[in-house]
Amino acid sequence: MISVRHLDVSFGNVRAVSDVSFTVAAGDIFGLVGESGCGKSTLLRVLSGLNPHWTGSIEIAGRAIGPMRDKAFYRQVQMVFQDPFGSLHPRHTVDRTLAEPIAIHGLDNAEARIARALDDVGLGPRFRFRYPHQLSGGQRQRVAIARALILEPSILLLDEPTSALDVSIQAEVLNLLARLRTARDLTLILVSHNLAVVAHLCNRLAVMQGGAIVEEMTVDALRHGEPSHPYSRELLRASLGYHRAAGTS
Amino acid sequence: MAQPPLLSVRNLCVRFDTPRGIVEAVRGIDFDVGRERLGIVGESGSGKSVTGRATLRLLPASATVTADRLALGDLDLLGADAAALRSVRGRRVSMIMQDPKFSLNPVMTVGRQIAEAYRMHHRVGRSEARRRALDMLADVRIRDPEHVYDLYPHEVSGGMGQRVMIAMMLIPEPDLLIADEPTSALDVTVSMQVLAILDDLVTRRGMGLLFISHDLNLVASFCDRVLVMYGGQIMETLPASALHQATHPYTRGLLAALPTIDTAGRDLPVLTRDPAWLATRR
Repeated sequence: MISVRHLDVSFGNVRAVSDVSFTVAAGDIFGLVGESGCGKSTLLRVLSGLNPHWTGSIEIAGRAIGPMRDKAFYRQVQMVFQDPFGSLHPRHTVDRTLAEPIAIHGLDNAEARIARALDDVGLGPRFRFRYPHQLSGGQRQRVAIARALILEPSILLLDEPTSALDVSIQAEVLNLLARLRTARDLTLILVSHNLAVVAHLCNRLAVMQGGAIVEEMTVDALRHGEPSHPYSRELLRASLGYHRAAGTS
Repeated sequence: MAQPPLLSVRNLCVRFDTPRGIVEAVRGIDFDVGRERLGIVGESGSGKSVTGRATLRLLPASATVTADRLALGDLDLLGADAAALRSVRGRRVSMIMQDPKFSLNPVMTVGRQIAEAYRMHHRVGRSEARRRALDMLADVRIRDPEHVYDLYPHEVSGGMGQRVMIAMMLIPEPDLLIADEPTSALDVTVSMQVLAILDDLVTRRGMGLLFISHDLNLVASFCDRVLVMYGGQIMETLPASALHQATHPYTRGLLAALPTIDTAGRDLPVLTRDPAWLATRR
């Protein structure tokens, strides 16, 4: 479904992503884990078309894509951002936020599509004419997911979709994503610094450090055996809580 | 506890007067902090940060703080005037904030900020303060203190900035340190280092630590005792090692909602909030 070969991204003299290659099969949930500055978000922004300055090759559904994307691309690939407080227009109602992609792509039946999208993310019609400031963080993230899904894409890119949320709300959003993936047969790429979130939702993951993928494995392999790269082991240990040895190394 | 507590709080209430009415952020909580690591966990809006700030009387004028007792040793913090509070802040109790980017003075080198913190509470000359600040930087495991001393906050990384903050907060040698989400702006591997430094210093100097966090696993593994807060009240207090055997439905719900490697492929149990949790007020 998605195939990335020898991707390089530089900002001035800084090489944010260097020689990254991976493939994601249709229906996969692929996780990218790493710390801030490891290039995971940059990689996602390249895939989504938000960063046109890269070299290498990207294929989506068998078609090579360049730096500039057409409308058809965005019907197929949508993105959900980290901060639901920043990613929704503060002066647009939920209705207007959801109506915009429909208008851009000239789809029919806007009314029914908006109602269905809200239903799908568990919000219901009473949220339709609210402004973002009248919603909680979890509700806003649901609106952002509804906006991404309203074009019925087959690929959803998720950039830290739960890291601004409390754990109880995070659980709701993770359940929602898992349910939508099955219902709509989506292919997901999830970027997160939280190994536990990635391991919970994904079936395959790649650990990134300093712009490169240091290890790629299935979640089953992660569960049954120690990861081989020392950095992945460190992340795994840190995800379990404070550990004296982890701090002194 | 054999020793008298460093900080003793009884029936602490904090109300905020907002344009939309009165918000009760903290509703009658009791706790003591001794020479131990006490964790406060809870979700956003549970009142944990307000509790930490109320202890140092660092809340805005719109807040009303009442308590039957809010005492640091034998000093009544509620009755204390501004001058008395100034001598407490930093010297006896200090506070580490979440994000060093917003808590350090951007136009002053980090070394001078640390030296200033020391001179505020000790009558020493510049060179002595500088020497102390350099020692302190070495204590928080900064490799080249002489070099880092002359850097401005924007020139240091997040992890180093947080170590600078810890150095600044510990140099007046307080009895009690309040750390409000000290590592949540940091990467996991860096935050382990920062926690190890805190751990060492607290143990070595016999300080009390009030550790405020939303991360249950972190608190369970780092602290001695844990308070679980919800809706401005304490749901339960328990030894950190027993957090995973908690009995309160709120704590259980939070623990169950945490994704792990072993929950893959399953739905996470969603927390259902019971109004009765808040009804049982004294």
